[in-house]
Amino acid sequence: MKQIIKIILFLLPMTSIFASSHREAPLIANDPLADNTDLYAFRSPDDPNSVTIIANYIPLQIPHAGPNFYSFGEDVRYEVHIDNDVTTAGDDIIYRFTFSKTNEDPTTFFNIRLGQENLKTTYTLEKSVDGGVTFAVIVTNGVVPPPNIGERSIAGAAGLDTSYIDLFNNAITRASTGEQVFCGPTDDPFFVDLAGIFDLGDAPRQNGTPVDALKCLNVHTIAIQVPINLLQKNNLSVSSATDILDGDFVIGVWASASRQATSVLNASTPNNPNIGATNSGNWIQVSRLGMPLTNEAVIPIGMKDYWNQLTPYDELADTLMDEYFYNPELALYMDDSLFGGAVPAFAPLRVQHNSLAQIFGTGFDFGNGNDGLFGLKGNPAVAGTALDDAVFGTLLLPGAGKPRSVDLWPIFHTGVPNLEPYQLATGKTGGNPLTTGKPFINNFLPNGGDMLRLNMAVPATPRTSADFSSLGLVQAAVLGLTDPRFNQNTTIQNIPNMDGFPNGRRLEDDVTRIELQAVSGVVLAAIGLWYDDYDTTTANPVTTDLLDVLTYSTGIEANDTTFRTAFPYVQTPWSGTGNCLGKPYAYTQPAILPGSVLGIATYNQSAVKASAYPNPTADATVISFEIDRPSEVAIQIMTLDAKLVSSTVSNTYGTKGEYTVPMNMEALAAGVYVAKISITNETGKSVKALKLIKK
Amino acid sequence: MKKILFALFAICFFASSIFASSHREAPLIANDPLADNTDLYVFRSPDDTNTVTIIANYIPTEFPSGGPNYHTFGTNVRYEVHIDNDIATAGDDIIYRFTFSQTNEDPTTFFNIRLGQQNLKTTYTMEKSTDGGATFTAVITNGVVPPNNIGDRSINDPVVGLGTTYSTLFNNAITSASSGETVFCGPVDDPFFVDLGGIFDLGDAPRQNNNGIVRDGLAKFNVHTIAIKVPIASLQKTGLSVTSATSILDSDFVIGVWASASRQATSVINTPTVNNPNPGTTNSGAWIQVSRIGMPLTNEAVIPVGMKDYWNALTPHQELADTMMDEYFYNPELALYMDDALFGGAVPAFAGLRIQKNSLGSYNFGNGNDGLFGLKGNPALAGTALDDAVFGTLLLPGAGKPRSVDLWPIFHTGVPNLEPYQLATGKAGNPLATGKPFINNFLPNGGDMIRLNMAVPVTPRTSPDFNSLGLVQAAVLGLTDPRFNQNTNLQNIPNMDGFPNGRRLEDDVTRIELQAVSGVVLAAVGLWYDDYSAASPSPVTNLLLNVLNYSTGVEENDTTFRTTFPYVQEPWVGK
Repeated sequence: MKQIIKIILFLLPMTSIFASSHREAPLIANDPLADNTDLYAFRSPDDPNSVTIIANYIPLQIPHAGPNFYSFGEDVRYEVHIDNDVTTAGDDIIYRFTFSKTNEDPTTFFNIRLGQENLKTTYTLEKSVDGGVTFAVIVTNGVVPPPNIGERSIAGAAGLDTSYIDLFNNAITRASTGEQVFCGPTDDPFFVDLAGIFDLGDAPRQNGTPVDALKCLNVHTIAIQVPINLLQKNNLSVSSATDILDGDFVIGVWASASRQATSVLNASTPNNPNIGATNSGNWIQVSRLGMPLTNEAVIPIGMKDYWNQLTPYDELADTLMDEYFYNPELALYMDDSLFGGAVPAFAPLRVQHNSLAQIFGTGFDFGNGNDGLFGLKGNPAVAGTALDDAVFGTLLLPGAGKPRSVDLWPIFHTGVPNLEPYQLATGKTGGNPLTTGKPFINNFLPNGGDMLRLNMAVPATPRTSADFSSLGLVQAAVLGLTDPRFNQNTTIQNIPNMDGFPNGRRLEDDVTRIELQAVSGVVLAAIGLWYDDYDTTTANPVTTDLLDVLTYSTGIEANDTTFRTAFPYVQTPWSGTGNCLGKPYAYTQPAILPGSVLGIATYNQSAVKASAYPNPTADATVISFEIDRPSEVAIQIMTLDAKLVSSTVSNTYGTKGEYTVPMNMEALAAGVYVAKISITNETGKSVKALKLIKK
Repeated sequence: MKKILFALFAICFFASSIFASSHREAPLIANDPLADNTDLYVFRSPDDTNTVTIIANYIPTEFPSGGPNYHTFGTNVRYEVHIDNDIATAGDDIIYRFTFSQTNEDPTTFFNIRLGQQNLKTTYTMEKSTDGGATFTAVITNGVVPPNNIGDRSINDPVVGLGTTYSTLFNNAITSASSGETVFCGPVDDPFFVDLGGIFDLGDAPRQNNNGIVRDGLAKFNVHTIAIKVPIASLQKTGLSVTSATSILDSDFVIGVWASASRQATSVINTPTVNNPNPGTTNSGAWIQVSRIGMPLTNEAVIPVGMKDYWNALTPHQELADTMMDEYFYNPELALYMDDALFGGAVPAFAGLRIQKNSLGSYNFGNGNDGLFGLKGNPALAGTALDDAVFGTLLLPGAGKPRSVDLWPIFHTGVPNLEPYQLATGKAGNPLATGKPFINNFLPNGGDMIRLNMAVPVTPRTSPDFNSLGLVQAAVLGLTDPRFNQNTNLQNIPNMDGFPNGRRLEDDVTRIELQAVSGVVLAAVGLWYDDYSAASPSPVTNLLLNVLNYSTGVEENDTTFRTTFPYVQEPWVGK
């Protein structure tokens, strides 16, 4: 597989599952600061001469996580790695981010007060272009915006007296080498029904409505927008690409977090109260991420920590974990001869068991434990294709009983070349998937394992295009097979969404759905290894089985907010005082009484729970109050200077409970009033005052 | 001070300082969720009144849907509950230590539960020390932590899941220690409730501009709980049962409780190999306390950011020797926002909370003022708790420390049933006179702990008098309710068993503590608000009403509590 001369290549829509990589392995689940959640790499839609890479960390941040909120860790190396050349071993470019924090006012427990910010975070960005031997500093004192605590802390005079969008935009900076950079809290762009999927694959939920578990939550983002010529191995600009599948424009991207091996907790003293831990020793990679969901739902629990500590290059040498791709656990649940019956939500997803049986004997069986295409080994029909040992050795057909060595494995480990059989079935002859079809994708870069591979020469699909689809390459394949604009011949065409996952990953891509479809064999179908119900007499590839797979969805198909049209594309973080999370209660703050004698004899608790809703109101409001025992209740509406303008008669309520009394305020002039609620019972008399606003 | 405090009946104060109990409250521990203590509760068990239940919670804001690995106790952490029951002995008298281990029953799947097998299955050992930590005895081995409540397929399904019910798993995990305690360790609903988003946006609780809506920021989150129900006779220093108490304020029945989490000093990350893919870390060295909690919200909203990590590393016994942090209680930051002469105008939500600046025409409790210090040496103090001859300079340590008489002792010593710490009822206008006995949880040989007088009877949860304002409500009843305000006799006033005499699950500690910072305790003992005059028909003046009516608007948990141990509710289901 070594000298992969310029073949134009094809890529498969594939991978394997679910919640990208939040809390995905036991060890890193306990170290949120170093926990990589998602990685995106896409051609910038508003700046097609650049590629944007977004690496997210620290999962499931509630926006209201006061008093300390969240920020990047100081003892962590956050790195983005890029491979752009099959002939060089290891990374070609490494971006390393390190963070430090300071307290501008250590005398308060608030995070922001009077223009001062605590745990204020800045960063240094270093870049290596020699595989990590040397690093040059390209950003110093980069600013991480504060958490979006709320209106008072950000916009208020007692806070920073600015706007969050200003803080956010001002934090975008340019590195001395030309990259645009942003590090800070953002909306988590990922979307998934975590609860459903991890309840033994119950997605879409068989009983109940799907829920995007990541809605309203934030992550910490490292975003880098890099001119394509800085990423391309010979510094060529994208206009130099020979075509949209030029193999010289393939990059592989992965991200990681590392900590030093030894950490010693220090004893703090009054004079040095925040001494933290002293770290030493080698830097150990504790988290990594390339393709979404690999370590979440392909690697079993016993190997997850191990997977996190390997590099993609180490991984290529590992053979043990290949098995999880050759015979993936998820495929067990898409196969009626295995555990298919145990996961009803996956019923539309069924792996090919006798693909093309009408043409090739008993056909090809891609069920776990079967041979897939291995029976073709040495067959003259594979000569010159990617499956020919003379082309890539035993890379794609390593042995019997490894059915997914031809689809799932390469998507995660090498990318896929634009070579037979990895072209769309459109134009293939004789029902033979090994013949030449319509070029589809080329992101083949087989000198590292799990990475997000992107052919930068593929044009960006405009986000406003009617053809833009969150199904990424699956949708591009559908168009190339069925849309008359794209299925007429084997000419290379720019099919919309060829820039989508898994050719890179856009923020919008529904990778959960795409990966589940891939496990059920949709990629095999795209290249002509049709589902079992394909019939040569009608020769319609869009069979019921394929339609079932294509229409499969978890029910959560989009992020819970918009994306920005300019860098860093991810949205500003949710506000801590927003109304997205938490249980709401209607509450009307009591009017503040002036400092003078009210003159009531007693006070009891009954009066405390009272509220008015709506308030402010244009016409009427409803006053609610709770009493804990039989009581007599009277309500008076008064002006601020204590003139009575409206009242109810005193009413006896015989049992404890919550009561409501409607108050018509239509006749009142606009302004502020006080509702005085007087409650009398065996414990005495009490009064509650509510401020009412008439609009 | 603190030496031989023979059985005096005492009063307690409801004070302290603020907000979201102790979730992610200090910079260092915020990054170590497994060891992060969130809340501590101590109360006489309502259905089993010869026992006290202690609940220590860890691991904040757990999403019920947090798969695939979900949350569980850490395996390299010592989780401890500490009890002080005797002023005559230094340090802890009883320590319960919990350590956890995990195993994967089926390491070949990425699911947490599949085909009756559970991964990251957690069990625990509970040890007990009654000699201050010198020796420990195992009292539970192989205690079961129930799995997370993932969803009906994982829990209920007889083929693919565990084929049981979550309630069965939960109840089966309740076990008895060989030393007589009833114990539960596992995921539960987070019983705490608070508008986190509002309060940490510069004190915006209740929210001023949100169309009348406030929000419980902890709704539908889980925590991991360690719950222990202990016979009172096992907690009382000489093994007495509660029926032996001489009164409901018997000082021989005061305990102080705190909880902690510790890690070993040195942690080395190991490199996994194919044959040993989960080596984790190797830990060695001394055990370092990384989190602690006694009173709610101390380290959240009293201790400033610069000292939070330090506070976490101290024991209450070390803390008593520290003098630097006392200042945060003498002149609390929150009081700045309740004082129009300081930053009161900057926090509109606290407008109803105003500190006495001219109580009884004489006493100023605003930050930087002297409070009661001007009385030092005055013959009127003779025999009261403020008399140097009684407790030394404990409560009047100096000028410019106005809250040394209320906030400081609540957090550091508890409060005795001695003048002036009795209700104003019967005092005839002089706070130093004898009033109505209120509480006694004085145990001044350790700093921040939850102090409970176990002799105080339980207020039934079904009583119309049961109230989440705890001792604040008990004080209101003792001052204003004709059933309780007729004389200075010792009476069992409802909610005398509430925070800060212990802490019940229902207690609205955020509200109580904010009211306490604004001086409600001072008012209860007769140091009335500034608008009181001798001519007033009642001490319930407008300024006191403003304080009593103050609320964050989030006053209760988002689900019910169980009527039996462990009282906290089953965890929210993931799906």
